[in-house]
Amino acid sequence: MIKLKINSQEMEVPEGTSVLKALRSAGFDVPALCWNDELEHINSCMLCLVKDNHSGRMMPSCSATAHEGMDIITDDEEISEARKTGLELLLSEHVGDCEAPCQIGCPAHMNIPRMNRLIAAGEFAEALKVVKKDIALPAVLGRICPAPCEGICHRRTVDEAVSICVLKRYVGDDNDLHPWPVPPLNGHKVAVVGAGPAGLAAAYYLRMGGVEPILFDMAAEPGGMLLTSIDDEKLPKDVLRKEIQSILNTGVIFRGNTAVDATMLDRLKAEYNAVVIASGNISDIVKSYQLSGTAKGLEVNDNTFKTSEKGIFAVGNVLRSSRLAIRSLGQGKEVAWSVMQYLNGQPVVGEPRKFNSRFGKLHPVEFTEYLTEAFNGKRIFPESHVAGFGREQAMEEAARCMHCDCRAIDHCSLRDWSDYYNAVQKRFQTSPRRAMTKHYQTDGIVYEPQKCIKCGICVKLTEKYSEEFGFTFIGRGFDVVVGVPYNEDLNKGLQKVGEKVAKACPTGAIELKKQ
Amino acid sequence: MSNDLQIIDRIVSDKGRGKMAIIPILQEIQKEFNFLPEDALRRVSEISEITPADIMSVASFYHQFRLRPVGEHMIKICVGTACHVKGAGQVYDAFKRKFKLKEEETTDASGKYTLEKVSCLGCCTLAPVVQIDQVTYGHVSTNQVDQIIEDFEIQKNTKTKKQYRKSDGTEIQGEIRIGLGSCCVASGSDDIRKAVEETVHNTGVKVKLKHVGCVGMCHQVPLVEVVPNKGEPILYSKVKPSDVKDIVTSHFKPKGLLSRLKNQLLETAEYIQTDAKWEGVERYELDMREKPVVSFLGKQIPIATEYRGILNPVDIEEYRSRGGFVSIERALKEMTPQDVIHEIRESGIRGRGGAGFPTGMKWELVARHESEQKYVICNGDEGDPGAFMDRMLLESYPYRVIEGMVIGAYAVGAHRGFFYIRAEYPLAVRRIREAIRHCEEANLLGNNILGTGFDFHVSIYEGAGAFVCGEETALIASIEGKRGYPRIRPPFPAEKGLWGNPTLVNNTETLAQVPYIIREGATKFNSIGTEHSKGTKVFALAGKIARGGLIEVPMGISVAQVVYEIGGGIANGRKFKAVQVGGPSGGCIPASLAKTPIDFESLTKAGAMMGSGGLVVLDDTDCMVDIARYFLSFTQAESCGKCTFCRIGTKRMLDILNNLCEGKARPGDLDELEKLAKWTQKGSLCGLGKTAPNPVFSTLKYFREEYEAHLNGVCPTGKCTALIKYTVNDKCIGCTLCAQKCPVDAIPFTPLEKHIIDNELCIKCDACRQACPVDAIDVR
Repeated sequence: MIKLKINSQEMEVPEGTSVLKALRSAGFDVPALCWNDELEHINSCMLCLVKDNHSGRMMPSCSATAHEGMDIITDDEEISEARKTGLELLLSEHVGDCEAPCQIGCPAHMNIPRMNRLIAAGEFAEALKVVKKDIALPAVLGRICPAPCEGICHRRTVDEAVSICVLKRYVGDDNDLHPWPVPPLNGHKVAVVGAGPAGLAAAYYLRMGGVEPILFDMAAEPGGMLLTSIDDEKLPKDVLRKEIQSILNTGVIFRGNTAVDATMLDRLKAEYNAVVIASGNISDIVKSYQLSGTAKGLEVNDNTFKTSEKGIFAVGNVLRSSRLAIRSLGQGKEVAWSVMQYLNGQPVVGEPRKFNSRFGKLHPVEFTEYLTEAFNGKRIFPESHVAGFGREQAMEEAARCMHCDCRAIDHCSLRDWSDYYNAVQKRFQTSPRRAMTKHYQTDGIVYEPQKCIKCGICVKLTEKYSEEFGFTFIGRGFDVVVGVPYNEDLNKGLQKVGEKVAKACPTGAIELKKQ
Repeated sequence: MSNDLQIIDRIVSDKGRGKMAIIPILQEIQKEFNFLPEDALRRVSEISEITPADIMSVASFYHQFRLRPVGEHMIKICVGTACHVKGAGQVYDAFKRKFKLKEEETTDASGKYTLEKVSCLGCCTLAPVVQIDQVTYGHVSTNQVDQIIEDFEIQKNTKTKKQYRKSDGTEIQGEIRIGLGSCCVASGSDDIRKAVEETVHNTGVKVKLKHVGCVGMCHQVPLVEVVPNKGEPILYSKVKPSDVKDIVTSHFKPKGLLSRLKNQLLETAEYIQTDAKWEGVERYELDMREKPVVSFLGKQIPIATEYRGILNPVDIEEYRSRGGFVSIERALKEMTPQDVIHEIRESGIRGRGGAGFPTGMKWELVARHESEQKYVICNGDEGDPGAFMDRMLLESYPYRVIEGMVIGAYAVGAHRGFFYIRAEYPLAVRRIREAIRHCEEANLLGNNILGTGFDFHVSIYEGAGAFVCGEETALIASIEGKRGYPRIRPPFPAEKGLWGNPTLVNNTETLAQVPYIIREGATKFNSIGTEHSKGTKVFALAGKIARGGLIEVPMGISVAQVVYEIGGGIANGRKFKAVQVGGPSGGCIPASLAKTPIDFESLTKAGAMMGSGGLVVLDDTDCMVDIARYFLSFTQAESCGKCTFCRIGTKRMLDILNNLCEGKARPGDLDELEKLAKWTQKGSLCGLGKTAPNPVFSTLKYFREEYEAHLNGVCPTGKCTALIKYTVNDKCIGCTLCAQKCPVDAIPFTPLEKHIIDNELCIKCDACRQACPVDAIDVR
């Protein structure tokens, strides 16, 4: 056995143990993207750098062997900076979007590609779950949203965007029932001032978190500006009322005809665990609340919507005037996260947002690659605004979606660690990026070489399991690519261990197609 | 194809079916087909243990291998450091224009010529250099492309006369020595050799013809030295084949010729001696005893290059008669392995490959590890652009290197050795092969060497062209038949090297100095040099120097002494700006620090590095950002691509440098460059990545103002084409030479009027400036 120190903690490991294994057995972790337990290791990603406390020198812990008397530091400012830089270098040549551009562009951050795929498969109830997770009023928004998501749809760079907004409307219209059981109340009560889109959304997502929300509004009926300033042809009142009712049905209590002035606010503060102000504009009443702000609106933290006073949050047009209902709706959802974090005594950080790799504009040549995942047809327009899509039309239009989101979105080590170290992808984007390509294997593997970080795990796995062709490194240096020898297709390359290789890939370069 | 398949089958059965044979097999296939046809490669997998994945990974890793067919003739444009600073990039562009090649194309439409950039042809003193097949053209300028192709077309059709050499041995009147180092050969010494042989044959003079290795006076090549039996030897430099007859006959009395002819010749010979009329001699003759030459050779101490210009490279008896093999005898017969290691350690010699690890300690480490099998590898994988010491030593002193290797093997207890020599050095491979054969015949290699009971067998492994294989763990991977990936150390090769066995990897120059140490004693060796850097070091002195070439100098000599006393100062009266030491791993030492002694510690302190020993002198017309970019583009291209910081870090540094040189840099880029350089240094695994940022560090340190000027879109030396403009000044006499030379018609043909350059059309090829007889082209 060998004695060594890891972060001042003394430990013993058998002779020949790698530093990485030693530190992991001591309960520490470091990013090691090129590591695979079953393979003989060759260091590549260099993110597992740790420091020898004696010499101050860095070493890749994966391939350094533990020896007697070692004193290892697994993370400090310098190591963090090294790892962040390493990740940023990898990201600088990582041509791939984590979340699709439409999702990032959506003010409510809805998982649009997943909705599209479910619609295309005819699974409308599942699609509604995806929509309702982020958008409280899909049938309403499906009629009035200016659809920033469609503005940055990759398909639009060559063709026309997928008709996301109308699809969402179809999903909202299609189903009367709430898509999942409403959780029991947890005892927390929150006052939401204003029953417009922001307030309704806040109340709905609070209720979905087990909180009892009470909606106060000066008007007799909930809806705010949705009710008063959108003409009926565009947004029929019955559609609006039906969708608001479905929110109230989940157990959101509405108190109409109630103006909340400063005195009332004091009462709400005393009676409720938290207050969300969503009253639509910076009126004299709001000014009397004595919260910090300007003539244009209240001042809040950008991520958490906390106001200057503890326990009071604010969202929607009371912060800044906007005609964009989806923005208010998205903020309503986000503030629910903050309020619940506050109520549970957790650090208030708002809705968690993860690192996103983005490659920017899709080039025409890449469009051809992307079309392999989509129906190659023209955009379908509904016969009229009133009619919207029919079922078949919706399914066909949804199939035009190109699966721009990454299949590894929730199991990508590169994304996870980039998020952890706050890596900035743009930092080293000093020359034009490579063109994106996609390759398929009939058993359901997708290979996107431009997402590859050249760790070589797939190369070693196909060698170990004696694939006839397998994967290999082709070329060298910055231009090295992982590919099948002699440009054979993926079917030749992966005849035995496709699934194993897909699961072992630390990024989204090789993935199972069904993901 | 069935015939072709038989060829493949034969190659595989010759070279072996195991993975280790992969590089030799591919080399052989390429020799056969001029590239690697896919069918051939597939056949190899069918009949051997080598998988398609192995083949692709190796074939695409090494520069030597081509996966696509090439033209009938290869035009190699040297872009080594010395050639780069003398405009190799523009020469390359000129060839591209000549063959109308688009972006990525390298072969012309007719399939006759293929262009290739090579990192160093080892003729730095002839820079810029272009090699077409076996013909080398030196001092090439952008407007000579047509001429060169024309010349080559004629050249390739002339059948050379049958080589003849007089060897009846009776009454030798003297000796004629012809330099056959790479520089000499490149400058045409082979033609000189033929001319001498022919003259000797035709005139019947009785002389001994002798081929000698590099004498280090590469700036004066080709060299012919005439050593009469009586009187002083005379050295002729820059000899032309047409001069040979006159030179030979002026010294030696022709026999058996018609008197008419004889008289004619003697008459010419008189001219030579009085040098009244014959322009040739006045220009070309150079007396050894005259000052410049004496100082060029005089400051030097030849150890690795002992008897330079005297030894015939492959004449084993001559080497023996000059103190050769004394050390083998002494070591094997009179000393224990421990004695040998002790002597080497006492000498203080440190590895000449760049890092300067104490050689004695390395030997000790290998000796200490018990193993049935141990190996010695001579590292001749010199890939540094602008350095060709190893090549010269292997070509000119093969026995000395072998002797050093045998002594090392004896000291560490190894019985198998490899010469790892780049396949781009065919002459070195040939000479070493021949020398090994002679040594085996003389029982200096093989079983029971000199009856001492010590066995040592050596073979040659031809490297396939990867700079990173100079790193010992990558070199070992390469011999094992893999991609040249370095691995983490420890374990060091001394413990686990080739096939997991203890392995001694020494640089060629280190081994070449070993026989001297054993023969003369450690004390004599360590009396040369400085406290921590003992002995001598061979450098390739090139660039903007009056006299370039290979030099062997004592450690501790100053940069200034090398530049001024040995190199004769800066060429063309320009100002000394800096010297780049150590190639891509090294750095620039500015003229203000010219007193810096050249030893391991001082160079490192100054931000440079001994490296493998390139010394490229820069003058005031050289742009330091461009120099940094040049080296980065080299290391970036040579990175094996395994580790993140080196693979992408060097690329991003190069991007920033490219942006600087193209006027596209953004504020903050210098800081980012510095940070990136720091992380690439710290986060890389092997020496290549760790030292790649050095050229950036040192230029940023000493020439930051030039970087800042580039940030503002100005290249102070006018080297960066994107930042400059060509204009015509009032000195113009309207001779139209520039207009005739302009390849893109950017200069209207206006005789006797001041010319005008259309900057919209101008491609900044520099042809007009070179053509102008009155210095009327300004570059700003």
